[in-house]
Amino acid sequence: MALLTVQNLRKQYDQKTVVDSISFQFASGKCVALIGPNGAGKTTTLRMLSGLLKPSSGTISFAGMNRHDDIRKYIGYLPQHPVFYKWMTGKEFLVYVGRLAYMSKQEAEQHAFRLLERVGLSEAGNRRIGKYSGGMKQRLGIAQAMIHRPKLLMLDEPVSSLDPIGRRDVLNLMDELKQDMTILFSTHILSDADEVCDELLVLREGKLVESGTMNELRETYQTAKMELGLERNLAFYRDKVAALPGVSACFIDRNLLHVSAQDITEARQTILSAASDEDWPLTSFAINRASLEDMFMKVVND
Amino acid sequence: MQWLTLLQKEMTENVRNVKWIWVPLIMILIAIMDPLSNYYLPQIIDAAGGMPEGAEIQLPDYQPSDIVMMSLGQFSSIGVLIIALMTMGTISGERKSGVSELILVKPVSYVNYISSKWTAAVLLTLVSFSLGMVASWYYINLLFGELSFGALMQVLFFYGLWLMLVVSLSIFYNTLCRTPGLVAFLTIATIVLMNLVTTIFSHLLDWSPNKIANYIQQLLISGSVPSELIGAAIVTIVMSAVLLIASVYTFKTKDMAA
Repeated sequence: MALLTVQNLRKQYDQKTVVDSISFQFASGKCVALIGPNGAGKTTTLRMLSGLLKPSSGTISFAGMNRHDDIRKYIGYLPQHPVFYKWMTGKEFLVYVGRLAYMSKQEAEQHAFRLLERVGLSEAGNRRIGKYSGGMKQRLGIAQAMIHRPKLLMLDEPVSSLDPIGRRDVLNLMDELKQDMTILFSTHILSDADEVCDELLVLREGKLVESGTMNELRETYQTAKMELGLERNLAFYRDKVAALPGVSACFIDRNLLHVSAQDITEARQTILSAASDEDWPLTSFAINRASLEDMFMKVVND
Repeated sequence: MQWLTLLQKEMTENVRNVKWIWVPLIMILIAIMDPLSNYYLPQIIDAAGGMPEGAEIQLPDYQPSDIVMMSLGQFSSIGVLIIALMTMGTISGERKSGVSELILVKPVSYVNYISSKWTAAVLLTLVSFSLGMVASWYYINLLFGELSFGALMQVLFFYGLWLMLVVSLSIFYNTLCRTPGLVAFLTIATIVLMNLVTTIFSHLLDWSPNKIANYIQQLLISGSVPSELIGAAIVTIVMSAVLLIASVYTFKTKDMAA
């Protein structure tokens, strides 16, 4: 059963449609990435899901929630640039937002303590937030999103503003967290999404252009290329390969023969059997899967 | 429960940013300025070089009620300015900086959020104002003659209502726009406008909140509460309530993130 179901969600400012009728759903326990270039509507979508923005139209439904229930009880949200009360300590802030989510004082304090430990801020917990570094604020942001044990954790660009070390910390933390909760996070960096998530939702100009698991997307957008290394007569073999059935293009670049084909398995067979029949001077043969970035570019530039 | 948590946070914030120190201090300062300067005016003039030969000034013989009105006059100008400045960012500032995004994404009721802000501001205002008036009352009794404690309490109650309205106005503008400076400007502009309208249509607006100070003067002189003061007090309370309801309403219709 789907944990979150979104139907025809739209957000319009004056004449500009920022999010255009997107629909998707995902099950409990998944880690879902909302991916797209800057300005695709990722933040707006997350803000509508968190209740911070009112959708112009469309519905958002949460498993087990009735119509008059407050969706905010079930979600934890980390904005892209979280801002805290500088005069509070990290621990005070966690307890405060926990209490706002109807936790008892004791419960909030105990959970705040555990969360600070989990995000690696036990020592900094009693210091003023004003003195925290960017990475520490981001980790405190994740802790505050989890304080009331939400069913869904939403993170808006959790790593894009961090340095490599902070980024690594947060990605590892997310990897741990996804064991016991559902995560929806936005990013414009595909390799981050690939690293931690199971499913992808690709947004472009406010529209949902693609969705599915990482492997499904790979299969759809696979444009495998073959690279042939030959000892001599590259131009001669290029014409030979180009004439083979199933080969769609063939060119020379950096002393390699680049071959693309619709059906990679079939093309491989014909090329290799031709090579062994005619005894080509092959030095190397490789199949290059399209890189993640190539795939991303293909999806969003279509 | 949630309301108390919110209020407690507001109070702690106002303690840590020392508002609970500077606001009462300024209020005391502006309240005792007039009683002291009027009492010591002859000495002040002497110290400043005295009057020219032959010049004579007749200082009026101030009654305690005159001095109370002077103190209230300071509150209606500088006091209102201080209140506007101290409350201008209580909601708009949080929305501008983005903290409200973290708070309002928790299941916080807008009624609790706004009313806790209002309560914290009203508490700070009224406590500071009361401290100021008590200080003024002390010097009045010492330097100008007796003013009964009962009269002081009446002044605190009725003028406190007016200051509460100022806070409510500021809270309302806080929910309307997200620039603290603009909130302060609109609050003060509205009060100036209300003053102007009350002056122009004086005969029609017997129950205008702006007239509370005038009626307090009558009260101090006659010793009994004028019926118009009760009317003005009721109008003030109703206006505050309407402003608070309007604040919650505007807040609900607004997107909480830019």
